[in-house]
Amino acid sequence: MTVKHWFPLALGVVVALLIPAVTHDNYVIQLLNIAILNAIVVLGLNFATGWVGQINFGQAAFYGLGAYTTGIAAKAGLPWITTPFLSVVIVMAASLVLGLPTLRLRTYYLAMTTIGFGEIVRLIIVHWEPVTGGTSGLRAIPGIGVFGIGPQGQVQHYYLLIAVLAIAALVAARIRQSSLGRAMIATKDSEIAAEQSGVDTTRTKLIAFMIGAVYAGLAGCLYASSIRFISPDSFSGTQAILLMTMLIVGGMGSIPGCIIGAVGLTILPEALRFLGQWYLVLYGLGVIAVIVLAPGGLASLASRLPRWAGAR
Amino acid sequence: MGQLVVNGLALGSIYALVALGLLLIFNTVQIVNFAQGQLLMLGAFIGISGAVTHELPMALAWASTMLAMALIGIVFMVLVYFPLRGRPPFLVILTTIAMGIVLENIALIIWGPLPVSLPSPVRGPPLRFAGVVISMHQLFIFCTLAVILLLQYLMLTKTRFGILMQATAQDLHTARLVGIPVNRTIAVAFAFGAILSGIAGLLVAPIFLAEPTMGGSLGLKGFVVSVIGGFGNLPGAVIGGLFLGLIETFGARYISSNFRDAYAFIVMIAVLVAWPRGLFGEKSSEKV
Repeated sequence: MTVKHWFPLALGVVVALLIPAVTHDNYVIQLLNIAILNAIVVLGLNFATGWVGQINFGQAAFYGLGAYTTGIAAKAGLPWITTPFLSVVIVMAASLVLGLPTLRLRTYYLAMTTIGFGEIVRLIIVHWEPVTGGTSGLRAIPGIGVFGIGPQGQVQHYYLLIAVLAIAALVAARIRQSSLGRAMIATKDSEIAAEQSGVDTTRTKLIAFMIGAVYAGLAGCLYASSIRFISPDSFSGTQAILLMTMLIVGGMGSIPGCIIGAVGLTILPEALRFLGQWYLVLYGLGVIAVIVLAPGGLASLASRLPRWAGAR
Repeated sequence: MGQLVVNGLALGSIYALVALGLLLIFNTVQIVNFAQGQLLMLGAFIGISGAVTHELPMALAWASTMLAMALIGIVFMVLVYFPLRGRPPFLVILTTIAMGIVLENIALIIWGPLPVSLPSPVRGPPLRFAGVVISMHQLFIFCTLAVILLLQYLMLTKTRFGILMQATAQDLHTARLVGIPVNRTIAVAFAFGAILSGIAGLLVAPIFLAEPTMGGSLGLKGFVVSVIGGFGNLPGAVIGGLFLGLIETFGARYISSNFRDAYAFIVMIAVLVAWPRGLFGEKSSEKV
């Protein structure tokens, strides 16, 4: 880490901290809160997809499992502090069930199984109405609070979520530097070569997949208790594809890329609302353009100009 | 019971057609097209534009839809596959998904969100025997699948083009070196793949209504069939399709119709856990 790395990081933190001073619009802050939560989920997706190279369309389902676990537990009267743990336990169990038998599958099969997993989770949420509220979702979920102390209002939630995002990014960076992180990259580059060098690729894939699920589960927990309303639409297959495009557009394998992609693609549809249906046409074409023209995503474009911002 | 079998097989025939379209493209370029369902939806709507809006005779509406689908297939290839040749298949999955989103929303802009119906090309009283009713349209679906299966089998195994396709699939560079018109072969494969999904769309629209968002779930069923049958495996695609149609129809009747779409995925995951390359094996294996 040199000054080249620190400067954009410090700039990003200062901008992020100053935003609530510039705007008092609760709608804008709430949108940013969702953007930050999405960024945490995309950072999680980056472990299995960006670093290990395993396609995963199940991330939205883990996000949803985390959110619904917290929503149901909190509405049942459990203290808030237990909900992150419950959410993590549930998503870890689910990621083991999905990951153990399927991670040895090849690209298309893995893509299909993860899509199928997401679809099954969505159908359960939609049809298990007495518990999940069905298509109308869960409302008035109790907020974050430990011994009666918790953030009040959108701005306080914003600062809390920024702090969680910072921790999530730091943990991801530490894992990337560890031997586990190097094993992940080796598995992506060539599974056969990685195995030859003593990397247990199946284990590496499973761990990356589970870490990603835990990120999504925790983000889901925070989503339920900070937005306080959840519905199946927020965790559908469409959302899974959106999370994947955030990762691609931002830059696979790059931590700043994940954050840029998630925040950008959460805000963009609101900013371009006047385009109506055309927004999704342009969004699809834009994703194709990024994949064809800038395979490393926006993060790689930034690092191509001056040589900072891309901390791969 | 007998009725459920007929209905299940009719539904399964449509899934098989979607899978046959996927197979043509997969067998040439080893790419799975995740926008196949959206191509099917376009086929249904172009057919409706011809037969309902412009009141063309049914045969002409079908012919013009197939022609339009061939062109769309080629444009699709140029936009989604060509720029990514030689890059990881992972990326092509994403460009085809993105193209699916584009097609779906263009359809929403052109035709609006309301479901529309397309009449069947065949009329007449349904056949009845032993308490089982087979509508003319269901009969037509079975015949179409049989004809297409026969034609595709002959094309892949007996014609020069089939051999060119296999050579392209095995090794694109060597195929080009020995003078095979690789680009033209790939373009023809995409055109035929799009035509097949267009036909599936024309067959589906009279049973369910056509709407711009219909493609997603039908496309996924096509992949589930390909997975069950093994990617690129011709008999596998047909047997897998019919099997899935039966599972869904019986599951919806005897277990729960709420989870209708989940049965496909549960069966697929079960098959993959037991046979990681599909029930009938894959056409070609991964290169090291």
